[in-house]
Amino acid sequence: MKFYTLFGVVGILFVPLIANAGPSDYVFTPQVIKGEREIDFKMGTEKSGRRPSDSAASLGIGYGVNERWFTEIYAKYKHGDGEGTHYDAVEWENKFQLTEMGRYPVDLGLVLEIERPKEHDEGWEVKWGPLFQFQAGKTQLNTNILFERNYDSEVRSETELLYQWQAKYLWISSLDFGLQGFGEVGKWNNWEATNRQSHRMGPAIFGEHSLGGRREIEYNAAWLFGVSNAAPDNNFRLQIEYEF
Amino acid sequence: MFYMLFPLTLSAAEGEFTITIKDHRFEPSKIHVPAHQKVKLVISNLDATPEEFESHDLNREKIITGAGKTTIYIGPLKPGQYTFVGEFHMDTAQGTVIAE
Repeated sequence: MKFYTLFGVVGILFVPLIANAGPSDYVFTPQVIKGEREIDFKMGTEKSGRRPSDSAASLGIGYGVNERWFTEIYAKYKHGDGEGTHYDAVEWENKFQLTEMGRYPVDLGLVLEIERPKEHDEGWEVKWGPLFQFQAGKTQLNTNILFERNYDSEVRSETELLYQWQAKYLWISSLDFGLQGFGEVGKWNNWEATNRQSHRMGPAIFGEHSLGGRREIEYNAAWLFGVSNAAPDNNFRLQIEYEF
Repeated sequence: MFYMLFPLTLSAAEGEFTITIKDHRFEPSKIHVPAHQKVKLVISNLDATPEEFESHDLNREKIITGAGKTTIYIGPLKPGQYTFVGEFHMDTAQGTVIAE
């Protein structure tokens, strides 16, 4: 509930909203697989000091419409701040692969997410941004720059700048490993003071297991540590996809 | 001289290699490519059913529709062997890229 508590507080103060990435966020990658169908489960929990932990989860179904466009719809849930697990929002994610993987030194993609919170006075949350991927030998690097803003909300919203990155070493298909990081710096063209920015990073693992034919399970998980004052001390996040 | 032993691996354009899928097998199943340079694989699926080219070693995954054709860019690769499979028919669709 941290995100919505923040909404309420800033609403009272009538100051611009500050983006807050969810504990179940994941690192987007630019690749799209045509015809791929997946059921996608994500969860995350974060904790700071003695505060109760905040948790979030989502369940989605996605489809690779063609070689350039993957679309997915999620139901999102939250748990925390004394409230039980409850429905939080529905989200429509669209990912576009802009370049053929490996053709250029950097692979490019674009993501566009539209979220409709359960509380309609929060309007529509729109997140979008370019996705970058680079491969050097057995190491894959991803960096994404994201912009997030609420439209048609009761509280005035500014466009916030977020980022995410990962470095993945391709070891064996069932277990790759590396690092992930997420951050929010404030308004896109007027960053918050350093102590109000949120930066998290930590070790991550990745893998996949074929079930035969089109069926496959993919996973990635990370344990993130807050490296700035505004970030949660600890954040565990997990994504499991069943592809068919 | 070496590539003369594997005439099916070369196509007209330099750095471009052609692979076909037939009866759920890659032909050729061993692709010799130059190390340290980018390579273009043109894969034609002669089967009526789709196949998925997948290689953890090459970090590539792509669907080839039935009777379809696609292009996959790989490398630059260090000298070595890089396995790939057709994920929908893994028992038969297996291959290796040999960078040298």
